[in-house]
Amino acid sequence: MEDVKTNALKMDFLSSDAIKASTSMEKISMIVRKVKEGDLVVIEGGLTPEEEAELIETTMREIDVENFVGIDIHTLEKDEKSFFGLSKRRTIGITIIGPANVMQAVKKKSNFLSMIANLGDSGASLH
Amino acid sequence: MRMRKFFRNNVFRDIFKKLLGKDKKLKIGFYGHPNSGKTTLANRMTNDWIGKPIGLVSEVPHETRRVYKQEHVTIANDGVELDFDIIDTPGIATKIDYKNFLEFGLSEAEAKKRAKEATKGIIEAIKWLDDVTGVLLVIDATKDPLTQANITIMGNLEARKIPFVVVANKIDLPEASAQRIFSVFPQHTVVPISALHGENMEDLYKAMVQRFN
Repeated sequence: MEDVKTNALKMDFLSSDAIKASTSMEKISMIVRKVKEGDLVVIEGGLTPEEEAELIETTMREIDVENFVGIDIHTLEKDEKSFFGLSKRRTIGITIIGPANVMQAVKKKSNFLSMIANLGDSGASLH
Repeated sequence: MRMRKFFRNNVFRDIFKKLLGKDKKLKIGFYGHPNSGKTTLANRMTNDWIGKPIGLVSEVPHETRRVYKQEHVTIANDGVELDFDIIDTPGIATKIDYKNFLEFGLSEAEAKKRAKEATKGIIEAIKWLDDVTGVLLVIDATKDPLTQANITIMGNLEARKIPFVVVANKIDLPEASAQRIFSVFPQHTVVPISALHGENMEDLYKAMVQRFN
């Protein structure tokens, strides 16, 4: 992956199986490292609320006013029927996490998520 | 009418007794996005009940960059008093770009300094989640309430079993829509208010007495 062009956007898709063996700390470190390098991380499923808070905290520690301004997180949810099929609840289908200066605009509706990646202003943080 | 008031007072008194029965001290945290009106609301409440403001209010986002604490604020509602500490936290965000502060007339050096302080403030606000016993989640009713920061805060409050009231603030503005907040968070207690003008504060105090029981 070293030869990726400087104006390209790298997206990593991680299945829930790929991260289920990781501890919360490992997951967060991996996400922040990739996002700081300018990558977009797409995870099947979501983070727990505690992991999200930890991710925000770690991001704040890593913010460097010149090169890394933080992250954007977006989730696409889906309805899931309960065991007996009597009630529905919303669960997270996928989570997208990327550098805030790259994830330019998002339209979010029920069952639909649209994102524009802005590569023009991404500076040194992109590959 | 008098009888109804008598019963209502008794209900509040019972709730208050239950609150007093707990050993723990009530610490109410103000959470929400930068510029949602947390400090304006905290000032409104401390001004109402102890006659002095808690913090500075400004148009510039992230004006509150450290946690402000005011102890022993008392809300009186229909003869019921609720004594608590107010914890005004910096707004929680997932990104801080110093360039946004330049629009408010700050110099580049000042903007960078503020951005750095804001990151520390957010860390502090998250840490305080472990220490509050109730939360007012303040949402700017003129904006989209379904943001990741709001979802993260609510998820954490639910996971930690911390009771909270969603405050739909700035309803005095023509573009405000409290209904949008009611519709996206139907499972939560939502109280529309204007912290700036003191509108509907009584409803908020009632909700606090009920939810923070």
